[in-house]
Amino acid sequence: MDRITLDVIGAALLSIAEEMGEALIKSSYSTNIKERQDCSTALFNVRGEVVAQAEHIPMHLGSLIMIVHEILKRYPVERLHEGDVFVGNDPYTGGSTHLPDITVASPVFADGVPVGFVANIAHHADGSGRQTHSIWDEGLRIPPIRIVEGGRLREDVMELVLLNFRLPRERRADFRAQFAANRLGAARLQELVQRYGRDTCVAAMDASLAYGERRIRAAVRSIPDGAYGFEDWMDDDGVGGPPVPLRVRITVSGDRIALDFTGTGAQVPGDINVVYLALVATVYYVLKAVLDPEVPANGGFYRAIDVTAPAGSLVNAQPPAPVAWRTQTCQRVADLILGALAPALPARVTAATNGANSAWVFSGTNPATGEYYVYLETIGGGSGARATKDGLDAVQVHVTNTSNLPVECLEMEYPLVVEEYALVPDSGGAGRFRGGLGIRRTVRVLGHDTTFLGTLERQRVAPWGLRGGGEGGRGALLLLSPGMATPRELGSKVAGVRLEAGDVVTIVTPGAGGYGPPAERAPALRARDARDGKVSSA
Amino acid sequence: MITLGIDVGGTFTDLALWDARRQVLAVFKLPSVPEDPARGILDGLTTLTAREAVRPAELTFVAHGTTVATNALLEHKGARTALVTTRGFRDLLEIARQKRPHLYDLQADKPEPLVPRHRRREVRERLAWDGTVIDKLSLEDVGDALESLAREDVEAVAVCFLYSFVDATHERLAGAEIRERLPGCFVSLSAEVSPEFREYERLSTTVANAYLGPLVSRYVQRFGHEVERLGIRQPPYINQSNGGIISVAAAAQAPVRTLLSGPSAGVMGAAWLSRAAGIESIITFDMGGTSTDVARVEHGRPAITPQRTIAGHTVRVPSLEIETVGAGGGSIAWVDPGGALRVGPTSAGAHPGPACYGRGGTAATVTDANVVLGRLSSTQLLDGRMLLQREPAEQAIAELGKDLGVSPVDAARGVLSVVQNNMLGAIRVVSVRKGYDPRAYTLVAFGGAGPLHAATLARDLGVRRVLVPPAPGILCALGLLAAPLRLDLVRTRVTPLDGAALAGLAQGFEELERQASAWLDREGVAPGQRRLLRAFDMRYVGQNFELTVEAPDGASPTDAGALRGAFLREHERVYGYAAADEAVQIVACRLTAFGDREPPALAALARAAGADPGEAQTGERAVYFEDAGGFVATPIYRRERLRAGHRLCGPAIVEQMDSTTVLLGGQEAAVDERANLVVVTGGA
Repeated sequence: MDRITLDVIGAALLSIAEEMGEALIKSSYSTNIKERQDCSTALFNVRGEVVAQAEHIPMHLGSLIMIVHEILKRYPVERLHEGDVFVGNDPYTGGSTHLPDITVASPVFADGVPVGFVANIAHHADGSGRQTHSIWDEGLRIPPIRIVEGGRLREDVMELVLLNFRLPRERRADFRAQFAANRLGAARLQELVQRYGRDTCVAAMDASLAYGERRIRAAVRSIPDGAYGFEDWMDDDGVGGPPVPLRVRITVSGDRIALDFTGTGAQVPGDINVVYLALVATVYYVLKAVLDPEVPANGGFYRAIDVTAPAGSLVNAQPPAPVAWRTQTCQRVADLILGALAPALPARVTAATNGANSAWVFSGTNPATGEYYVYLETIGGGSGARATKDGLDAVQVHVTNTSNLPVECLEMEYPLVVEEYALVPDSGGAGRFRGGLGIRRTVRVLGHDTTFLGTLERQRVAPWGLRGGGEGGRGALLLLSPGMATPRELGSKVAGVRLEAGDVVTIVTPGAGGYGPPAERAPALRARDARDGKVSSA
Repeated sequence: MITLGIDVGGTFTDLALWDARRQVLAVFKLPSVPEDPARGILDGLTTLTAREAVRPAELTFVAHGTTVATNALLEHKGARTALVTTRGFRDLLEIARQKRPHLYDLQADKPEPLVPRHRRREVRERLAWDGTVIDKLSLEDVGDALESLAREDVEAVAVCFLYSFVDATHERLAGAEIRERLPGCFVSLSAEVSPEFREYERLSTTVANAYLGPLVSRYVQRFGHEVERLGIRQPPYINQSNGGIISVAAAAQAPVRTLLSGPSAGVMGAAWLSRAAGIESIITFDMGGTSTDVARVEHGRPAITPQRTIAGHTVRVPSLEIETVGAGGGSIAWVDPGGALRVGPTSAGAHPGPACYGRGGTAATVTDANVVLGRLSSTQLLDGRMLLQREPAEQAIAELGKDLGVSPVDAARGVLSVVQNNMLGAIRVVSVRKGYDPRAYTLVAFGGAGPLHAATLARDLGVRRVLVPPAPGILCALGLLAAPLRLDLVRTRVTPLDGAALAGLAQGFEELERQASAWLDREGVAPGQRRLLRAFDMRYVGQNFELTVEAPDGASPTDAGALRGAFLREHERVYGYAAADEAVQIVACRLTAFGDREPPALAALARAAGADPGEAQTGERAVYFEDAGGFVATPIYRRERLRAGHRLCGPAIVEQMDSTTVLLGGQEAAVDERANLVVVTGGA
């Protein structure tokens, strides 16, 4: 087959995924999908391999890889019909990596024969200020089920689903957007088949996968052969217990790479467990970032990488382990892999980032409207120093990249006042190149009581530096109530905290590690940091 | 009446002069002088007026499209700027939206903030979201800030306080203090530059304005003086990102409004020429040497976006919705580590340029692929002022083919299909993704390379008609001759959409109208030429995205139901659904004031004796066509020899001084009396 034509179709397949993503963001209803773009779209071949993906957050890189297989396990291909749509969110049956991420997948038919699948995943932020102790605490678990049958919505199933959410109208609107994105993707794929023919399109899908695999293997060959290990510790088990070890051993041989997480601690009672899908998503993210940021996110790339972790460990959790805040651990695992690859690829990795998915949730009743509200926000921090330059200050790192909520939107919507949104001086690890700074965000509660959840990492275990670089600053959650002289530390992961009118909460997110000996820092950079007040003693 | 449009780009300075007495349109192209753009302009102006036997003093109108602001932002060459902001928020400029610059590239950097941290000062002051004063502005803090800034030699100061769009009193007080204590400083208040909500976007825009202020105001004022020195009595105008012109004095105050000054003039030019040809809705396709700009024009009016990112900096002022792709004729083709063919964003530029320029370039570019496939003549460009050489082009493309393991012809085909796909993506962004079907539009192709690629694009998109204007290479300069005066005003108040709110809105509009008429008076716009457009930013309660909806009958609305209906229709069109029973909010009122100008009444092209264009044919050569699966003997026509009424059948090539048009087999083109080439694709 003519390879230029295959390339053209390959590009068109990616365009389809991108266009689905645009449509989903445009037509969704909730802030979390629309404004923060917490969603992704993908196109699959009939075997269920991801051919093209448009991911808006890296956490979704692996989140979709099992969905088609799980559908086919339950609904053999001959039982699928044009216009079917499946929905699933359960991390233990391939639906996602935690329950709020809901996947919607549809087979695509051309002339009555399946030619592939389209799917999208969107984070339905329905709010939960509770701490969870098992997957059953975390909301409705949906295995892959048929919610639209031959183009007809199964209202009974939809009713069951919506009954389990706090904001059913918003959920219904978001589902509608997800269905519409799939319809668009299916129509586009059908147009492509009509234009080029089924065989050519299938060959183009295979060529795309082969290309992804070739490209990542070429990059793997650039890593010196060998075995590379690293160890780090989570702050705690999610409920205030002792630190939990994270361990990885990476073996590189020619164009093969294998990551083995044996030695990582057992799954924990807190809600920071990681299912296997979330682990591979994290691995795919780091390898893409370090080896080849432009490698296409598809099944060809994925099949070149081998990931093992003991069942029942923190990074391959088994039911009924709670997983709501799995991102805390994923962020740390990403740093762990960077640490392991540092001796092999010193110019491409960074020192430890803030390694957290620092977040808070305020939920209560707005005294002005009498309506229940949930305000959730994740807050960035420092990014690790690099071999030739400083780390980035105040950004979202690794598997997440959601934007903040503007103060002028937040205060209009919720009975809260933001008093400060600032960099944290001295939180960047010292080094030839400095680690990025963390963020301080302070909120005062106005005229009502509210329930507070805060979750942080690296409150105990600081972000490490590389090659002589210093540690980054640790994170903290602080509460200052009227009448108190100094703020009180709330701990690393708290939930159900009752806040009263006038209470002031501050989240301090971690900075990041430095790179190289601090003594080698250029005087001009020192002077700039001192002048800018980013380092107080430089 | 003699009018002049001047467009200064990175490579060329283009001038278009319209002499209404003689009914003559004269154009001139000369190399730009990047280190002193005004000199290039004056050289061009002097040469062109001398050539046309016009005295500069006879010019009645001069408008200028400039990249001075854009370049200063891209090259980080603006003023030493300071910021005064609400206590607790000086770092917002750096934190921005917390997102990192690239999802995967660990080596990517955020743009350097335009004001370093040590020149950002916090002062005590705070409003609540509804404008209630929580903390009064501390003049003491302002005094301290200014005292320390006075020692820093700052040239510009931006002021941005939370909720200043609701009540600007604190910003005005601070501004007055700055003007008094730091005389000569350029001052930007966020409530004046971008009175809209969402603090980061407003802050970033205000800071960019201050940063560009001293440089741009010096440049446009100098331009104004030079024009005056030539004896031109009418003060000149500067084009803005919104496709409308504004006086030099106004541009000096709002440089952030000129960041798309150049490309927006091209869109205005395309809109004007198409409209004159009876075509109202178009997609513009402006492909140059390094990049391509695409925009949508609806019923003669270009689509507007309230905000865009330029060089990593968010700028929230209304701009034409122009989508830019980093691919043009000079873009270099390469093979990535997985063995796939890629094109751009690296460009061979003007030096050494594509291999076919014969100036030592060895990288294969889009232009070289066009030469190898016979689509571009290997003999001449710019009427023989520049020769294209076939041999180096073939060599470069053959090298590329070797890397890919395909023949040179397949490599060239590949380059064109990759570029084509990039262009399709850009057109989808301005059409499909906004809820518009591109098949309902005419593609207007310009820029040096636009007409080369438009026919294939049109076929792939299912677009039925392509319009190639008579002088595709100077459309930006030409567009300036037709651009209206334009001022965008906005007032932000989040209110529920109901009858009571409309009364408040009417009052808001009155205030904006007062500002608009004062401006139109200052600009001396005659009453018959004034036009006001009213629109609302609206959303469902709880949504964090707004849609701009025009007031149904153009007037200040008195019927909440009608306005609601207009919102629902727009929501349905853009997002594919509308919830009839949900509460709707108005976020902002927008008033746009226009001072319309009569565009040149270009002379009609002489009519041909018959439809046969034989008299314009200069020869025949072998050109590769995808549909034919190989090279086909193809007639070559000279654009300047075509006459109104001539009809061309594809495959065919039409060559002219600054561009080449390709017609595919099955496509037909007619020359209209305004010298446009109108291609009918006969496609889907």
